[in-house]
Amino acid sequence: MSKRRLAALEVRNASKVYDSGGSQVTALAAGSLTLSPGAITGIVGPSGSGKTTLLMIAGLLETPTTGEVLFDGKVISRPGAKLNELRAFRRTHLGFVFQKANLIPFLTAAENVAIAMQVNDVGRQKAQERAGRLLSALGMGHRGSNYPSQLSGGEQQRVSIARALANDPTVILADEPTAALDGQRAEMVMKVFRHLADSREVAICVVTHDTRWISYFDSTLELEDGRAR
Amino acid sequence: MNLAIKDIRHNLLRFVLTVFGVGLLMAATIGMLGMYRGIVYEALVVIDGIGADLWVVEGGKSGPFAESSAVPANLDRRVAGVAGVAATRRFIQYNQQFQFDGLPLRMSITGVDFPSDSGSWIPLIAGRYFQSNRYEAIADKTLGLVVGDEIRLGRDTYTIVGVATGQVDMGGDGLLFVTIADAQVINQLLPSEAILLNRAAKGKTRMGLGDDTGSVAAVIVETLPGADKEVVRDTIKRWGDVEVLTKQDQETLLLDGRLGKLRVQILAFTTMTLLICCAVIALTIYTMTIEKVAQIALLKLIGARDRVIIGMIAQQAGLIGFCGLVLAIAISFTIYPRFPRTVLITESDLGVLSAVLMALSLAASWFAIRRALAVRAQEVLA
Repeated sequence: MSKRRLAALEVRNASKVYDSGGSQVTALAAGSLTLSPGAITGIVGPSGSGKTTLLMIAGLLETPTTGEVLFDGKVISRPGAKLNELRAFRRTHLGFVFQKANLIPFLTAAENVAIAMQVNDVGRQKAQERAGRLLSALGMGHRGSNYPSQLSGGEQQRVSIARALANDPTVILADEPTAALDGQRAEMVMKVFRHLADSREVAICVVTHDTRWISYFDSTLELEDGRAR
Repeated sequence: MNLAIKDIRHNLLRFVLTVFGVGLLMAATIGMLGMYRGIVYEALVVIDGIGADLWVVEGGKSGPFAESSAVPANLDRRVAGVAGVAATRRFIQYNQQFQFDGLPLRMSITGVDFPSDSGSWIPLIAGRYFQSNRYEAIADKTLGLVVGDEIRLGRDTYTIVGVATGQVDMGGDGLLFVTIADAQVINQLLPSEAILLNRAAKGKTRMGLGDDTGSVAAVIVETLPGADKEVVRDTIKRWGDVEVLTKQDQETLLLDGRLGKLRVQILAFTTMTLLICCAVIALTIYTMTIEKVAQIALLKLIGARDRVIIGMIAQQAGLIGFCGLVLAIAISFTIYPRFPRTVLITESDLGVLSAVLMALSLAASWFAIRRALAVRAQEVLA
C-alpha cells in the first residue's frame, strides 16, 4: 500500500524531436505530466498536438529528447536511456490500454490476460485464477474462453483493461481507449477507469480528443502544437 | 502457456499445408539419396554376394562389370593350380531381351558355375538352387516369373526352379541365373546367315561356333584361409594374358568409374532440395512472423523477455521441420518400396538428413527472429 501512496509518475519538461528525411520534426515541444495514485489525469487536444508522444514518453516507450521521467521521485528515463532495459519496469509497474484492444488473436480472453502475468514469471495456475477474477470484475467472467474474434469491440476493450491490470500496476496509460467504441460502451469504459482509480488507487492517464470525458478526470492537461495550453 | 502451439492451433490449415510441402520436399530428398544407395546396392549385389576374393579377367580390361571381358572357358583350371587358391568358378553376365507371355522381358543373364557352385549364395524367396547343369533358371522376383514357369531363351526352354530377391544389375534389369553351360549357349545363338557363313569357314561346328571351349567373362577365385591374396594375385598377373582384380578393385571401378558422375549429380540434387526446404521454411516462418508484428510488439509492451519471442519463433520452425520429417519418412516407407528400382533408405542417411533439416529449420528461423527482435513495443500503436 505504501508503494501506492508514494508512487507517482512524473514527466518533467519533456520534448521529442524526430529526424524526418534530414529535417527535424518536433512532436512535443515541452510537456510535463504528474500522475497521482487514485487520480485520473486526462490529456486532451487535437490530432498532432503531441498527446500520444507524451504518453509514450511516460510509458517508457520513447525516450525524451530533453527532460526526464521520474517514478517515486527517482529518474527512470532520460535522453539516451536504453528502452530495452526499461522493459522490466514496464512489466511490473505500468499497464496499457489502447484505442484498439490489441488482443493476441490466437489466445482466449483469459489467456490474453494471463500472458501478461506469465511473462512476469507468475505461475500458470495463479495467472489463470487471477485472469478469471479480473475478467469477472469487469463483467467478462463468462467470456474467458472466447477468442477475440468472438468478442464485440467493447468486450475486447474490457479484456485489454483486465490485461493492463494483470500485474497490479501502479499506473495505467490509456491512449484513446474509447475512440473505437459507441457512446454506451465508451461510457462504460470510463466508468471502469473511475472505479479502478477509486478502489485500487491506480494512477490513470487517459489520452483523448473527446471532451465528453472531462468530467471523469481529476486533472486535465490540454496540449496544442506540442505545448501545454 | 506455449505461444508457438497456440498460434499453430489457431492457424492449423497453414501449418498443415506447410508441413505437407516440407514433407514432400524431404521425401524427394530421401528418395534421391535412397535411389543412389539403391543403384550402389544393385551394382554391388553380385560382387558382394558371390564370395570372390579375386576376379581374373581379360588382360588389360577392367571387366566384367565396368567393361566387357572374355577369357577362355577353361582358364579356371589353370587358375586352380596356383598355390593359395582354394576354389575357382567361372562367371558370365550379359543383358538380353526375350519374350515371355508375348511381352518383351529384359534381363541380365548371369552364369553360375554348376556343379562347383549351386547358387547357394543367391537369396531365394521361393523354390530351390540348381540341381542340374542344363535348362534350369533362378529368376529375380522383379522379372515377374514364378517357380514352374517356362521361358524360351534362344533355342531352348528353361524352367524356373527358384525365385530370388534383390538381384538386379546396375541398369535395373533383374538377374536370371542359369548355369555357365546354358549362359554360353544362350549367348552364342547366331542368326541363320551367320551360321552359314561360319560353316563355310574352317574349324566351325554345324552350329557355326568355334571348336574351342568358348569363353566366359571372368574366373572367380577364392583363396585358402591364411593365403596371401596379393601373392596369389601377383602370381596370376605374371602370366601376362589376364588381369586380376580384387573385390575392392571391382567396387572402386563401379562406384568411382561408372557411377561416379551419377553419384555427384544425385548429391547435387539432394543438396538443392535441402536448400529449397530451407527456403520454404524460412519464408513461411518469416511470413508468419511479419503477420505477428503487432502481437510481438504487444508482448514487448507488456514486458515479455526476448527469449519468449525467440522461443515462439524457433519452436514453430522446429515443429514444421520435425512434422515435415515425420511425414517424409512415412511417405518414403509407404511409396518407395513400390518403385521399380531399389530405393534403399538407411538409418544413417535418415539420421544425417534429420539433423540437417532440424539445423536448417532453426537457421531459417534466424531471419524471422532478427525481424522480431527489431520490432519496437510502440509499434502496437502503429
